[in-house]
Amino acid sequence: MSERLNVKDLITVGIFSVIIIVLIFVFGMLGYIPILMLGLPVLAALICGVPYMLFLTRVSKFGMVTLMGFILGCVMFLSGHTWVPIVTFTVCAFIADLILKMGNYSSVKNSIVSHGVFILGIMGNMLPFFILRDAYMAAMQSSMGNDYVNVIAPFLQTNVLIVMIVLTFICGLISAYIGKIVLKKHFQKAGIA
Amino acid sequence: MGLELNFSIDARTKIIILAILSFMVFNDVPFYVSGILVLIPFLFLFLSDYKKIALIYILIYVIAKFLQISILPTATGILSVLLIAFSYTATRMLPILVMGYYTISTTKVSEFIASMEKSNVPKDILIPISVIFRYIPSLYEEIRSITDAMKMRGFGLTFKSLKSPLKLIEFYMVPILISAVKTADELSAASLTRGLSNPQKRTHLISVGFNKFDYLFILIAVVGLGIYVYYSLGGVLLA
Repeated sequence: MSERLNVKDLITVGIFSVIIIVLIFVFGMLGYIPILMLGLPVLAALICGVPYMLFLTRVSKFGMVTLMGFILGCVMFLSGHTWVPIVTFTVCAFIADLILKMGNYSSVKNSIVSHGVFILGIMGNMLPFFILRDAYMAAMQSSMGNDYVNVIAPFLQTNVLIVMIVLTFICGLISAYIGKIVLKKHFQKAGIA
Repeated sequence: MGLELNFSIDARTKIIILAILSFMVFNDVPFYVSGILVLIPFLFLFLSDYKKIALIYILIYVIAKFLQISILPTATGILSVLLIAFSYTATRMLPILVMGYYTISTTKVSEFIASMEKSNVPKDILIPISVIFRYIPSLYEEIRSITDAMKMRGFGLTFKSLKSPLKLIEFYMVPILISAVKTADELSAASLTRGLSNPQKRTHLISVGFNKFDYLFILIAVVGLGIYVYYSLGGVLLA
């Protein structure tokens, strides 16, 4: 078995990246309601389990998940998030890839855990708010008005960030488990899982 | 029109400008800088037969900017939250959205691959990205036909169906995923036939390269970026 990715693998990565991007963006529209913006990673974690699990049925080489993370990060960068998602997505996807490799790309337990890690990459969309908190607040004050800042300010704390990371991870595990069930219900019968 | 303008932009230019525009959203910049950068996608669209979209875009942007400057600092209550959401989206996201729309709708995949291979982008990154270019429009078609099919079975996008969102998500997701898997197989079969996995250097039917428009727009965008960086590093002189 060759370790290099062939064209078929690359095309699979592309197609599933599109699906995950579209899902994240469609549900990202909810982020314009101030509080829900902070719930976005959790929502994304819940929703991306099914495509990710289906994607894993096509993965048998090291590098595919990492590549997908890198591409998701690039798209996030090009669509107006900062450069931070490129780093977080790539790192998280790399760790997820390592976990999958430990389970030899067939262990169910490892794929569920790897989704939990993989989806943590989306925290990169949120991190700038926390790191650059003060600068962000000042910018918001001038561009979004006082009301918005007052609503959102109490939530931009470090412990909220930790809670969000843990919640996202747990939701990632749950949705990967759901994904496994959906896979059994719909796709194995159709012979494509 | 007597004026024959041979307007074509290289795919690399589009992506460079998209990246530069993405840098600008996070911080506030003086209006004359962001204004010029906002005009770039407008000019692109206007010069390449998307005149209607270009005009709508610039109108929405001007309204949003006006709201932001003149009404927001004093507004309160629920109305202001809505207005904020609108003006924030329009002033920050709209230029990128429009630029992304322009990039995706005017770049042919073969053109994109040709110009990317010219700058030696590795194949492992190039192929997934060109699949993204190719697949987003057909995913849109797919979603539309799924909606139609659901309407036929009495489960359209109505309030009744929104009551059971999990079902709605399942009904959309499963057909999309199945068609995605099929598309992946078909695309890889098609590209194998055309020798995409051949390690030899490929030749291209279309010739790509920078022309005077490319250099002009990149120059404008880079100068804008320079002013932006200088400004956000604390160069108060320009404020």
